[in-house]
Amino acid sequence: MPEISPITIELVQSLLAEALQVPPDLITPDLAFGDLPQWDSLGHMEIMLRLEDQFGVSINTDEIAQLISVPQICQYLEFNGHAG
Amino acid sequence: MPAESEIIEIIPGIAIPDFMVSEIQSKLAYADERIASVYVRSEQISIHLFAGKSATKEQRIEIEEKVQRVVSSLAKGAIQPKYQILEDHLDRRIPYHDDPHPALFSSGQIYQEAPGIFTLGPLVTLLITFFEDQFIELANSFGAKPYRFPTLIPAKFLERVNYFRAFPHSLTFVTHLREDLDVIDEFSQHAACSQEGLNTPSQSFSRIQTLLSPAVCYHLYYSLADKSIPDGQVTATAVGNCFRFESINLVSLERMWNFTMREIIFVGSKDFVLENRELARQRVAERLAQIGFAYKVESANDPFFIGEFRKQAAFQSAFQLKFEIHASLPYKDSTLAVGSYNYHQDFFGRNLNISLLDGKSAHTGCVAFGLERMALAFLAQFGPNPSDWPAEVSSKLKT
Repeated sequence: MPEISPITIELVQSLLAEALQVPPDLITPDLAFGDLPQWDSLGHMEIMLRLEDQFGVSINTDEIAQLISVPQICQYLEFNGHAG
Repeated sequence: MPAESEIIEIIPGIAIPDFMVSEIQSKLAYADERIASVYVRSEQISIHLFAGKSATKEQRIEIEEKVQRVVSSLAKGAIQPKYQILEDHLDRRIPYHDDPHPALFSSGQIYQEAPGIFTLGPLVTLLITFFEDQFIELANSFGAKPYRFPTLIPAKFLERVNYFRAFPHSLTFVTHLREDLDVIDEFSQHAACSQEGLNTPSQSFSRIQTLLSPAVCYHLYYSLADKSIPDGQVTATAVGNCFRFESINLVSLERMWNFTMREIIFVGSKDFVLENRELARQRVAERLAQIGFAYKVESANDPFFIGEFRKQAAFQSAFQLKFEIHASLPYKDSTLAVGSYNYHQDFFGRNLNISLLDGKSAHTGCVAFGLERMALAFLAQFGPNPSDWPAEVSSKLKT
């Protein structure tokens, strides 16, 4: 598994902080679905929709179930050509 | 449809994906009180207005704007659900193919008091009792403890579980006359009911603090709120009246405003809930096979309102949270959802502060059966004459 760029992690941390409406320092590099009360079902879908809007990707239901942590979202973006 | 009803043809602002057609059709019922029926295609929507409720040019524009708002909210960026079939027994031989409603109406076995409100006669009641016995046996196989829940549910509880945001369109509110002698006197002397409803002014009624319950399992979760579960898990069962207003979609026994659900409810760890949900599906499959019931079990989503639909339905689909039992309705070459297998993750555990022994939020799930719909689907597949029914059913009827 290639190492994730720190810039990608920062991008994702920023996106998650906005989507979940929490301070950026709560978005740790290994944060996962359910670790914060705000990262619930609605919070998760807000993250997915912002990924679509900001990165122009189209996320399907399989990916919604897979992208459940900061590292997985980072890897997804880098795989889809959005490396930081 | 009365011949004189007015029709509005609308070209949707964005094309409607095939997988959203039925969802948009059902939600358009709530767009305007003048709408009598709706026919949705990908590129065109036909709106029929109630006869006698013709619309001015401005009102037609207003209706079209509302329709476009519904379409835009549901179709724009809609995420295609993952379609999964867990069981398919629709090819079972079905001996009956007519619509059972006319025979049931004419023999007095069903009587419609108002749209979505039905009285059921002895035959349908016997059949419902049969299915109830089956579901109670199923509940007993899990050691489920019996509960009785009220028909009313406090507004503050539904607010706590986000129900107002998710399903506002289907709520049924409860009120009473204000405790005011003048108001009560006025009502007792002048209350009259027309086709439009009671003539009582709205200020005579109390503020709403209570609703008619939309589901059975909510009451169990409410009773566990702000508590730690002593044994780490709860298995319960209950039957109850449920109320979901479905506007012009309230048609026949297929879609009732006031219906009855039997539920088996699991509260505990994720593994406990998911394992029991799957076990329940397998045990139901065995029972339905014994009577030769034709159905399939497929992925589904709850009927969220337009603002929440896109996110919530996609989430349910992605995490396989809901599967429905779709029974064959041969008379319309279609199926009807008669039950469901639901997993809520820790949604209720978190929102209601229900904790497990390790301090984590409880996970919940339920298996639910619509009793009137089960009876209808059975009658649609086997007919209204008990002598034509499978021995597995007729031998167990409690006459």
